[in-house]
Amino acid sequence: MFESKEALLKRLSDGVVDMEEEDVIEASKEYIEAGYEAFDGIMQGLVDGMNKASVLYDEEEYFVTDVLLCSDAMYEGLNILRPHLPAEEADKAKVKGVIGVVEGDTHDIGKNLVKIMLETAGFEMIDLGRDVPLDSFVSKAKEVGADFVCLSTLMTTTMGGMKTVVDRLKEEGLRDKIKVLIGGGPISQKYCDTIGADGYSSNAVEAVKLAKKLLVTA
Amino acid sequence: MSITDFNCTYNNGAGVNEEIVQKTKLKFPDAYKNWEDMAALAKEIKNHEDASFCTLPFCHTLEGEALGAVINYGDERIGPRGKDYLTSSIEDLLSISELDFSKGRLAEVLKACSYLRQEGENVALYISGPFTILNLLIDLRYVFKAFKKSPEVMEKTLEKLRVELLRFIREAQNMGVNIFSYGDSSGGLNILGPKLSEQIVEMFTYPLLKEAQQIITEDSIMLLCPKTSFALIGTNKAKWKNVELAESMKYDKACVSMIGKAKFLGEMCIKNKNYILKDRIIKSIELI
Repeated sequence: MFESKEALLKRLSDGVVDMEEEDVIEASKEYIEAGYEAFDGIMQGLVDGMNKASVLYDEEEYFVTDVLLCSDAMYEGLNILRPHLPAEEADKAKVKGVIGVVEGDTHDIGKNLVKIMLETAGFEMIDLGRDVPLDSFVSKAKEVGADFVCLSTLMTTTMGGMKTVVDRLKEEGLRDKIKVLIGGGPISQKYCDTIGADGYSSNAVEAVKLAKKLLVTA
Repeated sequence: MSITDFNCTYNNGAGVNEEIVQKTKLKFPDAYKNWEDMAALAKEIKNHEDASFCTLPFCHTLEGEALGAVINYGDERIGPRGKDYLTSSIEDLLSISELDFSKGRLAEVLKACSYLRQEGENVALYISGPFTILNLLIDLRYVFKAFKKSPEVMEKTLEKLRVELLRFIREAQNMGVNIFSYGDSSGGLNILGPKLSEQIVEMFTYPLLKEAQQIITEDSIMLLCPKTSFALIGTNKAKWKNVELAESMKYDKACVSMIGKAKFLGEMCIKNKNYILKDRIIKSIELI
């Protein structure tokens, strides 16, 4: 006897909020075995839980470490549910972003958080990691046909790399097609305006709002 | 009381000012690796900044590398930083090697410290805290998860790091270091949150500094990153004490003048060397 869809969706959502990976894995398997739609499991279960975690983060009830653990649980569930998405859902084009920490800097916690929040919000993110050579942002964006690039750094000595990326996108004639979003400890709206980026956000929740605003998604 | 965060501006990237590079004619990244170049560079930076002490090393990767992390030494523009993690398994942290002061960059840094001290310089040595070190050895996501899922492994890992850092402090002091600069910006309140921050003070920072206090002689002092100072104060493990200075002076000079008068300082960042303490008051930190 399978649990009701609603009960399993709640377990998926709660498992993410409570950072309980094992519970999410178990609930995801049961959900699929019961024959419920994978898409609903992802959106109304896992993503719902991650959205709740984002709200708790925004309200300072949760902290970076909590959100990272919530996302681990969410990704475990996604690994199980995603292969069961109908082809038209799996192949549906999403707004695509390239994200990374600029060359010279290895502080990637903030970047990881932004990536998680953007993925939860429905963006497809290509993560280049940390200490990323500046040309890689441009070449990857070009290769995958990205709609936006997210650049992060925590160090004043490496923030100049953000301007280089903006300039190289211009040189490649891509600047009109690709939005540039920046963030990190020493970054400000003023710096964003100075280097000609499209937007700055001070945290991961704001980054999602900014991306939605700039990229006109619902 | 609760922990207050210190908003770090991270004006601390590794890398060397162009003027200094041209003046010293040093080759990079070699200058980050051998003691003679390190000493020359540290001295030139001190002169350039009109500072009261030389500071080594030029990055926060020294301990992590000595424990097995792979480092990208970079160049004069962007200095050493982590390249590859040692492992992705939290259990592997239990078998990391001990710090070997006789080889590698660790030995070179200590030689440079010794040389500079013999030359009559005050020598400051950066000591990295556990999250800065672990961030080079393993993706911190695994560490955060382990605090929840395998706290006993993290407890043992922190104990191991504490023992190693105390050995490092003892060895460095023997080699002439008279100013220790301790910080762990990767483990700040903004990242860990209040609960884990408190736990780290209990499990690591307070016991480390309690023992360090016994090691640090009357000829040495330890400057704490304000993130660490605020964490200690916020958990009632330490208190501030105002100390009157002989005259109004720059923060770096005041730190040197406090050697022998206090064990710990930490009201501002060590980078804030030129800040003038106009009211002739410096705050020492007394562990409770």
